[in-house]
Amino acid sequence: MKTVTLGDYKRRMLQVLVHIQQHLDEPLPLEELAGVACFSPYHFHRVFKGMVGEPVKEYVRRLRLERAAQRLKLSPASVIDIALDAGYESHEAFTRSFKSAFGMAPSQFRMARGVRFARVPSGVHYCEPPSKRFRTLSRGGRMRVEIKTLKRMRVAFMRHTGPYDEVGKVWDLLLTVMGKEGYLGGNPMMLGICHDDPEVTPPAMIRYDACLTVDDGFVPSGEIGVQTVAGGEYAVTTHTGPYNQLGKIYAEFLGQWLPRSGRELGNSPCFEVYVTDPGSTPAEELMTDIYAPLKEEEAVR
Amino acid sequence: MTTAVEEKLELFKGNPEYAAKPKPALVKTGPAAYLAVDGVGSPDGAAFGEAIGALYGTAFTIKMTRKFAGLGDYAVSRLEALWPDMNGEPGAHKTQWKWTVMIRTPEFVTPADLTRAADVLTKRGKGDGVSKVRLMRLNEGLCVQALHVGPYDQECKTIAAMKDFAGQHGLHFAGAHHEIYLSDPRRVEPAKLKTILREPVRKG
Repeated sequence: MKTVTLGDYKRRMLQVLVHIQQHLDEPLPLEELAGVACFSPYHFHRVFKGMVGEPVKEYVRRLRLERAAQRLKLSPASVIDIALDAGYESHEAFTRSFKSAFGMAPSQFRMARGVRFARVPSGVHYCEPPSKRFRTLSRGGRMRVEIKTLKRMRVAFMRHTGPYDEVGKVWDLLLTVMGKEGYLGGNPMMLGICHDDPEVTPPAMIRYDACLTVDDGFVPSGEIGVQTVAGGEYAVTTHTGPYNQLGKIYAEFLGQWLPRSGRELGNSPCFEVYVTDPGSTPAEELMTDIYAPLKEEEAVR
Repeated sequence: MTTAVEEKLELFKGNPEYAAKPKPALVKTGPAAYLAVDGVGSPDGAAFGEAIGALYGTAFTIKMTRKFAGLGDYAVSRLEALWPDMNGEPGAHKTQWKWTVMIRTPEFVTPADLTRAADVLTKRGKGDGVSKVRLMRLNEGLCVQALHVGPYDQECKTIAAMKDFAGQHGLHFAGAHHEIYLSDPRRVEPAKLKTILREPVRKG
């Protein structure tokens, strides 16, 4: 048995970075990018953000703009042709993005001398041939993480589709309906399963399940369904603070701690366990356990 | 035209009775209602744990039942406990300690609400200890209060400071030692546990 190392993770991520640069004219969906180096599609965007320091979409957009900038300098093509190649449908949209990235309009950039790209965490910019190195962030490498083995859990749940910061509504409904039936007795766990990353999926389409552990006697009805959370090994870290900081913690956890852990993620979503009652806990003292499913060690080749 | 605005009742957040600092201070407390369970034994023991579980199960079941019925919403408060034998120096052995664990509850919660919640929980197989939960009123009046940060077994220092403070104001302890738990001891390391200590006081 061989454990995965940080070097393995970096080599695989580099394959993804090179693939991106070689296919900038294509749509580059997340599933395809995850597949390039066998990352689990459930977690890829968070691993990417944590390792590279930018969200994938942001990274792709930046590289397209940098390529456009290089073409402005080196080729006689018209600005509109370069804009179209960079994936923009109009001159205006391109100019707006270009200005915010480089501080000047494309036509000015063409004339300017000695322009440099702004610094990025990974140090990777568009260049030919593609860069063979990148910097990985390491801050989260020292997070406190515990490996826990969970039994499979049966959970009653309600699905919320919409902005992440509105999940309180569905929790309210679930806990009221379940609570009056006595399901809040016996100290059940409250889990949130986020099927989409708020940084990748448009707010209106984010799917989130508010879940409450139940025993086998529970019968789903109406809007309340039932599902099973797989048992097995999970890496668990605790976030103490407001819920809106969770995105940052996920990125450190999966992009910085994980590559140094010798483990790989399993093919199911992460979930959050809410330890404290937001009704009586100040935001900075809220505790959330983040559970990341691990692949069985034996299965790692 | 008037619109009824449904406001969430906050018994804990923003209540000056729960705004203690490490330095002892005088606080006026009003009469208050609690869900409570009485017991004897070590706070590490099974009875204490069961009482807390029953208390939370009951508190949330009552809250959600009322909320579902459109009878208003409120936040479930923090866990509190009275330790009547413990006026500063715990004498008896841990296993003999008497306690009342409790959760502050709005005045409008009725005995019928409590009975209904206990029935529902029992029917659901979550009824361990719920028959011991009772509604209780407490009127502690003037109290000395301080925030204790650290392990529970080092409260004596904070209590000594509270006693001195009471003495300086011509007051003495005159009621059950009262603790309000701001941290979960299963999740917070002992050195960082925050507990409000409250001692009812009287003149003379």
